[in-house]
Amino acid sequence: MRSTASVRCSHPTSRRKTYDRGVVMNTKQIYRYVQRYLDATQCTILDKSPHHIKVKLSPEADRELTNRPYYWSFIDRLNETPETMSFLFIFDEEKYKQLADTQALQEQQETIVAADKALERTLGIVAKPIMRVPQEILHFGSNRLQQLFQSTERNGSYVCLYEEPQQRALHPYASRPYTAWLAINYIVEFSCDRKREELHSLGISLVTGHCVENFHERLQNIRLSPRIPPNVHIAKNGISHNKALSIAEAHLERKLKGYSYDWAVEAQSRLAEELARLDSFYAPLLQQAEEEQKQEIAALQEKRKEEIRWQYEPRVTASVINCGIFHLDGID
Amino acid sequence: MNNSFYSNTVINQPDVQKAIHPSLNLNFNRAWFNELQQRINQNGPWDQWSMYQLALEAKQATLINSFDELLCLRSLPGFEPMQHQLDTAKRVLHEMGGRAILADEVGLGKTIEAGLILKEYIVRGLVKKALILVPASLVLQWVRELNTKFGIQAVAQRKSHSWGYDIVVASLDTAKREPHRETVLATDYDLIIIDEAHKLKNKKTTNYQFAVQLSKKYCLLLTATPIQNDLDELFNLISLLKPGQLGAQGEFNSNYVVDKRLPKNEDQLQDVLSSIMIRNRRGDGGIHFTKRIVRNINLQLSPEEQSLYDAVTNFVQQQARQDGIDISSILSLVTLQREVCSSRDAVFLTLVNMFKKTSEDSPLRPKIWELVECIRAITSNTKAEKALEIIEQCNDKVILFTEYRATQEYLLQFFSKHNIAAVPYRGGMNRGKKDWMMDLFRGKARVLIATEAGGEGINLQFCNNMINFDLPWNPMRVEQRIGRVHRLGQTQDVNIFNLCTVNTIEEHILHLLHEKINLFELVIGELDHIIERIEASNGSIEQQLAKAILRGADPHTLTNEINSIGEVFTSYQQEKNLR
Repeated sequence: MRSTASVRCSHPTSRRKTYDRGVVMNTKQIYRYVQRYLDATQCTILDKSPHHIKVKLSPEADRELTNRPYYWSFIDRLNETPETMSFLFIFDEEKYKQLADTQALQEQQETIVAADKALERTLGIVAKPIMRVPQEILHFGSNRLQQLFQSTERNGSYVCLYEEPQQRALHPYASRPYTAWLAINYIVEFSCDRKREELHSLGISLVTGHCVENFHERLQNIRLSPRIPPNVHIAKNGISHNKALSIAEAHLERKLKGYSYDWAVEAQSRLAEELARLDSFYAPLLQQAEEEQKQEIAALQEKRKEEIRWQYEPRVTASVINCGIFHLDGID
Repeated sequence: MNNSFYSNTVINQPDVQKAIHPSLNLNFNRAWFNELQQRINQNGPWDQWSMYQLALEAKQATLINSFDELLCLRSLPGFEPMQHQLDTAKRVLHEMGGRAILADEVGLGKTIEAGLILKEYIVRGLVKKALILVPASLVLQWVRELNTKFGIQAVAQRKSHSWGYDIVVASLDTAKREPHRETVLATDYDLIIIDEAHKLKNKKTTNYQFAVQLSKKYCLLLTATPIQNDLDELFNLISLLKPGQLGAQGEFNSNYVVDKRLPKNEDQLQDVLSSIMIRNRRGDGGIHFTKRIVRNINLQLSPEEQSLYDAVTNFVQQQARQDGIDISSILSLVTLQREVCSSRDAVFLTLVNMFKKTSEDSPLRPKIWELVECIRAITSNTKAEKALEIIEQCNDKVILFTEYRATQEYLLQFFSKHNIAAVPYRGGMNRGKKDWMMDLFRGKARVLIATEAGGEGINLQFCNNMINFDLPWNPMRVEQRIGRVHRLGQTQDVNIFNLCTVNTIEEHILHLLHEKINLFELVIGELDHIIERIEASNGSIEQQLAKAILRGADPHTLTNEINSIGEVFTSYQQEKNLR
């Protein structure tokens, strides 16, 4: 896994240097990301430059990105061929404009073609309607990129993969032993009224129960395939999945125990302070109140207390972004 | 995959908690594990390796690395907030636990500050459901601003089902009514923002009762009118955010209050306040405004107009002396005089209404009718012609303010006759129409004619010429008018034209506002304080002026009367300078 610190660089095209925006993905990286997403979803690239991609979405990507559930339920029920949407994604607006200007002449000719088509339509020659291609600027934080992120989260959760051997087996009967690993990408949230997160990528060998950190980083250098390669055998699992789970959790628990929790202690003392303050506010009110009002005031006090707890109570939660079984060369 | 390698028994693992600190548990969410086992048992379906990588990279890119960095800026590349706005957002997020009163002076961008805070919480995943309560006239503006400036997909509440959206902007008046009330009160909001929160300072109002019942984690109250002058109101507002911050009511009274408006232990009070309220002032360093160029244009009424004015003045003086008259009638009488200075249409409408209201045998009727007859003699409007001249000269967009609806109508006709595209804007318009008018003004129209009701909350930085066709008496409202164009984001110096008819009460009002208060040129931060101080003793400033006008039958006495009101301003400023 790449450490987030190393990818932290500022927006290369940004002229604004007033303050560090802490951008974690620059234009180039966003471009690469979108391109890989479109490849993974088998979309058709119609046109591209380093600053834009014009794409016709695959049915799969269209369902994920265009937010047209009615259209899709209609297509599904009638078993129709879908007409998916096209998009023009722009990554660097200024550079794209320069590019577009030089191509303007060419497009003028296209409009003439469109005019011809319009004439054809009036003459009764019906062509398919020209689909408008929406333009969108994809910058870090744009809603479309956010949507892409969410889509990958939904569709990249569970994998089962095999390492492709470096070279062909020398002998047709030779077989290489593979180890199954359980990979877990944890996200740990530390929150009170504020919040911080950490990623922990763990791998647990199902043969030995050995647990390694930064497991995803290790996977990055390996060619992986969904199919088991020939001349490979998978070593017998020495531990159950349940056991692997508890090893991973114990590992994380041990690690987190070593952290400083000053922030949580502070939050708790703030919480206690606020709760006491609430009591001091409501106590005289309750005392002075008529009998029938008392219940109402007490209910309000309880509500306020709930809110304060909701606001300040410190929590640490480990959830999983995605996980998988990876069969890797060798026994360890 | 060969199933025999794996155990077939799936035991659903419940979530667990492990203590990692004496007072803190680590919660393990295990739903994923059960799903994984299921897929192993059925050998799939499995996701793509590339998607798996992309999902993890997305998380790495959006990871929240630290507790107290302002992360939302990286998501807003085209947006550059001012330093004081960033500082405010940071303080609310890091020191105030997300509950604060944002009390910047008009035009310093409270909306931006609130937007930054909201965005930061959204980016951090601390806010999902938010409710923004604003006056009806500002709903669309908020929605637009959140969408375009902050990329927050906010929705204007229109139908009952709108409440289901994550970020909803609604009018307080709608939200507090059934059937909406029930829905809103049954929802736990991660963040509630209430704009124009001074509408909540009275504990007994339905607004306040409703606000108390809301369920919220974080809360921002936005107000430009300070509440420091009435301590009870201040107490109420803070009780919405942090009950007990100022102690219980009794303690508060004994610790901080001498009289309703007179605090004691002021330093200590300021200390406590600064933990919950942020107030940036125009005078503070680092906030740059363009200049205000003020021109007072003195106009001589035409003989016909002048005779109407005199007739009306006579009538007003007579009426005021005759009855044992109450203050509201005084106000409406003096309004007649002010209306003559604006347009004959304005005064005509009022007179006709007055006529209708008086009984048929009243001796008033013929008198009123006489005045109406006077109006007939008037064929032109001196001010309108001057306004036209100004507009033609400056050759740019102009916003014109008038107090009266009838004047607005008249001017619309007048300008269209002279081929100047003008659009109206007033409080009574529905949201859609207001938006439409704004778009027209931004586009083709040269002139926007706004009545006072339209003055609040509209942003017109793209226009730098402003005509006060007539002046409100309350300096705060004049300041609000100016604030529409003279605000952050205005790149040009702002031209302010005050049209003033000589030998009328207008002359005196302008004298008070301009000479005494120096309202137009100086940006007076504490205007609101001063006004509250004036109003504390003798009723609203409008009422005081009306009384002064009736007392001061001749110009000389009137000047003295008005000067004495102006004294309060002068003395306040002297006091301030001494401090």
